[in-house]
Amino acid sequence: MICFALAKGRLAEESAALLEKCGIDTSVLKEDTRKLILTSADGGYRFFLVKPSDVPTYVEAGVADLGIAGKDTLMEQDKDLYEMLDLKIGECRLCIAGAPGRRDALTNPHLRVATKYVNTARRVFAERDEEAEIIPLNGSIELAPVTGLSDVIFDIVQSGSTLKANGLAVLEEVYGHITARLVANKVSLKLKAAEILPLVARLKEAVS
Amino acid sequence: MVYRKLPAGVQDVLPEECTLLNSLKDRLQSRFTRAGFRPVLSGALEYYDTYSEIANAVPQEKMFKMTDTDGKLLVLRPDMTLAIARIAATKLGDAPVRLSYFADKWDMQGAGSISSREIFQAGVECLGEEGALSDAQTVAFAIECLKETGLTGFTVDLGHVGYFKGILAGCGLSAADAERVRRFVNAKDSLNAERILRGAHVKESTLNTVLALPALFGGAEVLDRAEQLTENEEAREAVRHLKRVYGILCDMGYRDTVCFDLGAVRRLSYYSGIVFSGLLRELGAPVLSGGRYDRLADDFGKHIPAVGFAMGLKRILIALERQKKLPPAPLADVAVVCDEGEEGDAYRYYLTLLSEGKKVIFPPEYGEEAALRCKGKAKKVILIGKEGMEEL
Repeated sequence: MICFALAKGRLAEESAALLEKCGIDTSVLKEDTRKLILTSADGGYRFFLVKPSDVPTYVEAGVADLGIAGKDTLMEQDKDLYEMLDLKIGECRLCIAGAPGRRDALTNPHLRVATKYVNTARRVFAERDEEAEIIPLNGSIELAPVTGLSDVIFDIVQSGSTLKANGLAVLEEVYGHITARLVANKVSLKLKAAEILPLVARLKEAVS
Repeated sequence: MVYRKLPAGVQDVLPEECTLLNSLKDRLQSRFTRAGFRPVLSGALEYYDTYSEIANAVPQEKMFKMTDTDGKLLVLRPDMTLAIARIAATKLGDAPVRLSYFADKWDMQGAGSISSREIFQAGVECLGEEGALSDAQTVAFAIECLKETGLTGFTVDLGHVGYFKGILAGCGLSAADAERVRRFVNAKDSLNAERILRGAHVKESTLNTVLALPALFGGAEVLDRAEQLTENEEAREAVRHLKRVYGILCDMGYRDTVCFDLGAVRRLSYYSGIVFSGLLRELGAPVLSGGRYDRLADDFGKHIPAVGFAMGLKRILIALERQKKLPPAPLADVAVVCDEGEEGDAYRYYLTLLSEGKKVIFPPEYGEEAALRCKGKAKKVILIGKEGMEEL
């Protein structure tokens, strides 16, 4: 049996559709249930439904053999696991955004950056040799520059409509092509290779 | 009430677990001794410079630091193998020596579900040894040590950093980029590895070989595939070396216990040859990790080829628990209880039993009721009264 950690929310439906395409019976994922552990009808897969940012934790610990997580989450957490495939779903970009036309804000010697990607933001500004005060937030990041809590935000941008609705614009795209990735536990991949590798091959085919 | 608690990533080991840990340690210690490994200890405190001014510098964010009375920076030992390389280079003679240790190492960043910041390890180092036989003997000994712990169904995964190094030799990649590619390959992240290699305009043939690495794992057939993938002599020699080691291991009877992963490319400044790790289905992280590090002692002033491995004893206990292999807490052989006035006789009897090698308890209570309370704690309960000895 393969244990799969799946993110609830943004990626959930697309992940399920992709697995379905590879011949995995995902009908349990479509049931309206509050259960957090679901077993496929054929008993071959067990799915854990977790918060997106928790997927790497379950996979690193080996509680789940495989997981689907956004590259943004993987970069932020830097867990010890195998990143097997780009699933090319849930595409977005990691950007610095702020008041339109205020690119000069980026050279502010004491830039205040609101973000939920605290580690990634620290790394980005450190690599550029720039000082920045990182303000950790958990949601509604766009509110920060509007209310004066920060100068800019560092966040994922999908369509840009939330930014626009709040009078903000992308000032710089730091990482493009942030997509969902298939991750594997380092031990599971070796010791359950006979089950996992064919699935990885089918997924690879499905996304190409 | 912060003063009653422990910082993140460290633990008290309570009697029940400590008993298991000690018995595990005793079994391994005896195994090490019988195999000719001599024990060594090192101080927990060392100079920061010892670990920061060497080619294999330990990242400073991983080290616990303190200031000495003279203002010098100290660290809690971040790596036992480096400490042993230092000891061997500065304090031991030139003859090859096999050393073993039971020691903590500390990692500032190590807090996590199966990691901690204080890591108790059992390990061995074979210093002054080279060649396929030395490597095979070390892997074989690692397998025997894992057996000794009582674990079953484990696999030892073998790789060789020389394969990756050979492929990248002379490809024009900067040292910093090569290190980034290594990290990505080690994480089986071909995507990012490709991005850097393409950015550096590496030859197509090199690119294809590097991108094949993450999938180069499995049984011995991997070695043939790996050899055909490259013309580079260093890389091919690495594969030939693995084949020699595998041949010896098969001959020793370990054919089904080993597998291969040429994409397991650990830090090149540290490892110089084979690398291996002990894997189990029950645990998401290796219980054993080792390899060859011929240049480690160079930084301490002497070239000493070396190979060795370390086991995380906490992880082994977790794995044993998951395999339901942990023995129940052992009972005492005998409980000695006496009536008032018979303390001297009871104590002499207690000493006699101890000297016979028995495990004996002698509770500080009198009479038959106290004796009855000992049932369940000892296999046999002896009550010593005025009329003599009575087994209950």
